[in-house]
Amino acid sequence: MNRALLKISLACLAMFVLLLLNMNYVQAFEAGKLAAEPGNIRVFDEQFSYQRGAIIAAGDGTNLKIAESRLIKGTDTYQRYYPQGEMYAPVTGYDTIYSKSGVEQSENSLLAGTSPQLAVHNFTALLTGKQKQGATVELTISPAAQEAAYKALSANTGGHAAGLVAIDPSTGAILALASYPSFNPNELTTFDGTTLNKVDHRLLTERSQPLLNRATQVTLPPGSTFKIVTSSAAFSTGKVANPSATIPAPTVLTLPNGHLLHNDDDEVCGDGNPQIIEAFYLSCDTAFGELGMKLTAPVLRDYASKFGMNQALSVPIPVVPSVLPEGPGWTDPSLTAYTAIGQYNDAVTPLQEAMLAAAIANHGKLMRPYLVQQVLGPGLSVISSHQPSVLSQAVSAPVANDIQQMMYQVTHNPGGTAYATAGPGVTGSIIIDGKTGTAQNGPNNTGLNDAVFTCFVPASGSGSSPIAVGVMVQGGGYGADAAAPLAVAVIKAYLAAHP
Amino acid sequence: MSFTADIDQPVPLPRGRRGAELLMLAFALAVVLFAFAAVGLGLRGKLPAGLPVDVLVFAVIMLAGHLAVRRFAPYADPLLLPLAALLNGLGLVMIYRLAESGRNGNPGLQVTDMSTSATTTQLMYTGVGALAMVAVLVLISQPRVLQRYTYTLGALGLVLLALPAMLPDSHSVVNGAKVWIIFGSFSVEPGEFARLALAVFFAGYLVTKRDALALAGRRVLGIDLPRARDLGPVLLAWAASLLILIFETDIGTSALFFGMFIAMLYIATQRTSWVLIGVSLFVAGSWLTALLFSHVMERFTVWLHPFQGANPTGIAFQPVQGLEGIAFGGIFGTGLGQGQPYHTPLVQSDFIFTAFGEELGLVGVMALLLVFGLLVQRGLRAALAAKDPFSKLLVGGLSFVLALQIFVIVGGVSGLIPLTGVTTPFLSEGGSSLVASWILVGLLIRVSDSARRPAPQPIQEEGMTQVVRAA
Repeated sequence: MNRALLKISLACLAMFVLLLLNMNYVQAFEAGKLAAEPGNIRVFDEQFSYQRGAIIAAGDGTNLKIAESRLIKGTDTYQRYYPQGEMYAPVTGYDTIYSKSGVEQSENSLLAGTSPQLAVHNFTALLTGKQKQGATVELTISPAAQEAAYKALSANTGGHAAGLVAIDPSTGAILALASYPSFNPNELTTFDGTTLNKVDHRLLTERSQPLLNRATQVTLPPGSTFKIVTSSAAFSTGKVANPSATIPAPTVLTLPNGHLLHNDDDEVCGDGNPQIIEAFYLSCDTAFGELGMKLTAPVLRDYASKFGMNQALSVPIPVVPSVLPEGPGWTDPSLTAYTAIGQYNDAVTPLQEAMLAAAIANHGKLMRPYLVQQVLGPGLSVISSHQPSVLSQAVSAPVANDIQQMMYQVTHNPGGTAYATAGPGVTGSIIIDGKTGTAQNGPNNTGLNDAVFTCFVPASGSGSSPIAVGVMVQGGGYGADAAAPLAVAVIKAYLAAHP
Repeated sequence: MSFTADIDQPVPLPRGRRGAELLMLAFALAVVLFAFAAVGLGLRGKLPAGLPVDVLVFAVIMLAGHLAVRRFAPYADPLLLPLAALLNGLGLVMIYRLAESGRNGNPGLQVTDMSTSATTTQLMYTGVGALAMVAVLVLISQPRVLQRYTYTLGALGLVLLALPAMLPDSHSVVNGAKVWIIFGSFSVEPGEFARLALAVFFAGYLVTKRDALALAGRRVLGIDLPRARDLGPVLLAWAASLLILIFETDIGTSALFFGMFIAMLYIATQRTSWVLIGVSLFVAGSWLTALLFSHVMERFTVWLHPFQGANPTGIAFQPVQGLEGIAFGGIFGTGLGQGQPYHTPLVQSDFIFTAFGEELGLVGVMALLLVFGLLVQRGLRAALAAKDPFSKLLVGGLSFVLALQIFVIVGGVSGLIPLTGVTTPFLSEGGSSLVASWILVGLLIRVSDSARRPAPQPIQEEGMTQVVRAA
C-alpha cells in the first residue's frame, strides 16, 4: 500500500504546485491586466486615495504645474486640480471618477503609479512605509507659447473655433497645443456623480463643443497650404525643375469634366505663365490645379503620406489621421485639380499643418511629434526620457530648400499673400516663412471659409529652425487675415522666452 | 567494540514531542493574535474592542485541545494541532474583518449582510469543533474500533448525503445549492460529515475486498483491466456522485466524494486501471450533465470567458470580483483591513481565500497554501507509518480528499479550474465545515498516535509466554 500512498502524495504535491503557480500567475503577472479591466471596482475606489502624479509643462526650462493632486483637508482623499484651467485643457484632458482624456488618459498608468516601470519604486515605498505615489510627467509644452496660443485663439475676431499646434522642427517636440473654445477641467473633478453628470451633459450638448480638441481631433480642408505638398511632389519628381521654372496659370482653368476652376476673385496670375515661385506666393489655384493633374492623384497621395498624412498618430494623445483618401473615382483628373489645391477631399488637423512646415524647416526630415519629454518617479529620478525619432524623410534637403524659398516669398514679397500679416512689417527682426490657406466650405462653397496658416522660423547660421506653427480657424475667412496673426503671436512669444 | 555493552540498556522510548507541539501552538496563537490586532489597526487605526476576550477564548480552546492530545494521544504528530489551530485562527480573524465591513465606521461598500455576531458564532463552532476532536480521541482509542462500524457508517453517510435531495427546497437550499438541512435557525451541511462517514466505509469495505479488486482481468493497451464483475462498487459510487450532481446541483461535493473513492481504491489495489476508469467515468459524467443541465454548462462558460460581454456584471460577477480582488492584492497585499474584499458577494464563505489573497497578497496565500500542504503531508505521513491497512486507507483517503478540496476551491476562485462551491477547510464561515475539519484532524491525530506509539515492551525476557504492557 505504501507505494500507492507515495503516488497519492505526489498527486497531492502536484495539486499544491499547480495552485502556487497559478496564484503567482494571477497576482504577479496578470495583476496589471486585471486592474485594467473596465469596471474594476477596487481600482475605481482606490484611485483617489493616494497622490496621482503631476503633469508639468517644462518646455521653457521652468516647471509649470498644469495638473496636480491635492489632499482635501480633513480627509485622506486626493482631488485633481488644474491650476491653468482651460488654457491647457486640450493637453491635460480631464480625470473624472468615470473617465479620462488627454495626457491624463494616455499616461494614466504612470500618473497612477500602476505601470510596471514603477514596480521598483512601489516596492521601495512599501518597504520604507511610504505612501504609494504616481510618477510626474514632464511635457514639451512651452508655457510662453501655450499662453500666447490660447490667448490669440480666444481673441480671434468672430470667436471662431480654432486649433493651433507649434512644433520644434528639429526634435518633433510639441511646444504648444491649443484649442478654442476650451473647457475648465476643474469642473469635472468633483466626486459627486450627479454634479459630474450635469456638467458633463452641459459640456457635451453645448453648441460650441468645448470638449472637442481642435488641434488634434478636427480635420478641415488644408486649402492652399496643400500647395506645399503639391510643389514638393513637382520638384521631387522633376515635373518642375526649380522655383524659377515657369508653369501655365490661366485665369480660368477648364477641367476635363467641363467645370471651371477660377483663381480667387478671378485674379490674373502673373503673365499667365509665371515662375512657380510667383504662382506660389500669389497662391494661384489654376496653376497648381493644372500641376496637380499632371502629377496625378496617387503621386500627390504618396507625398501627403511622406508629410505624415494617411496614418494614425499618437503623441501620445490620440490624433485623428489627416487624410487624402482613396475613394471611388479619386484619380479623376478633374477632382485631382481640386485635391492639389487642398479643396476636394483632403482634410488635415492643425497638428498636420505644423508638420508640413516642420518638415520643410528641418531640411525635409519630418520628426515624430511628441508631448512627453520625460517621466520622473517619486523622488524625481528619471524613469524614461524621450529620444527624438524620424517619422519620415518628406523631401530631399534641396527640395526642402526650394520650398523654403517659396514660403519666404509668401511673407516677404510685397505681393505675397501673408506679406501684410506675417511679413517684416509685423515681425520686425524675426523671419517667418509661411503659406496661407483659405478653404472654401459648405454646399456650393457658400459657407464661411476656413482660415489656415502654416509657417516656421528658418534656421539661422549653423543652428536649426526653432519653431513651426500650424493654425486653423474654422470659418475665419482668409488665412492671411484670420490665421497668420495667431501664428505670429505664438512665434514672437516663444522666441522672446528662448532668445 | 563490544556488542554486549548495550544489551542491558533500556530501549529509548520514542518521545511524544508534546512540548514541541505546545511551543508551535503558542507560535500559532501569537500569529493569530497579531493578525487580529492588524485587522483593527488596518480598519480604524486602533485595536479591536473584542480582541482580548476573543483571543483568550480561542487560546483556551486550543490549549484544552492540546491537553486532550497530551492525555489521549501522547505520541501523535506534534504538527497537526498547531497547523489546524493556525488555520482556524486566521479564518476567525478574516471573518471578524469581513463582518466589520461597512460597520462601526469601517470602510465598506455597504453594510455587509453578515451577522454582527459572526465572529462569536464562529468562535463557538471552533469550540464545538475542538470538542468533536477530543470526542474522537476519547471514543476511538484505536483506529480499528472504527472498522467495526464500516457498514453502519456507510449507511449513515449515504443517508446524510441524500437527505438534502429528499427535503423540500425551503428546508435544503441556500444560495442555489441544495446541500443543507434547515430547521428554523438551525442549519447543517450534512455532506461535510457524510464524507467522513463514507471514508470509514470505503476503508472498511476496501480492506476486505481489495484482494478481489486487485485481480487482473483482461490486459488492454498495457493496462490490466479489472474483472467486469468487480466493477459494481465503482459504478455504484459513480452513480451516487452523479445523482448528487444532478439533484443537489453541487459539482464540488460530487467531485470530492468520487475523487476520494477513486484515491482509496487505488491505495487499496495499486491498480492504475482503477484511476483511469474513475477519471474517465467522471469526465464522461460531467460532460453528459453539462449537456443536460444548464447550471453545469454555465460554470464552464464563467470559467472560460469571465470577462466576456455582460458576464462580469452577470453570471460571472462573483468570480470576477474574486479574481480582481486577488489581483488587487498583488505580491504583498493591501494589508489586513485595508483591502476591499467586501465587493465580492459571500466572500466569507466559498470565496474567503480571495479575501486572504487581496489583503495578504501572494506572499500570504503562498504561506497559507504551504500550511495546508503541510497538514496534508503530515496526514499522508501518518498513513505511511500506520501499521494496519484500515488506518492507511482511511487516513490516506482523508488526506487526499483534504488536498483535493483545497485544490477545487482555491483553484476555482483563482481561475485555474471551473468554480465549484465547496468550503475552504478551517477558513470559511460556517459550523459544519469547521466541525468536520476538526473531526478529520482528530482522526489524523489518532492514527498518527497509534503509528508512532512504541511497540509493547516485554516485561520479562524468558519463556514462551511473555507478559506485555498493554497500550
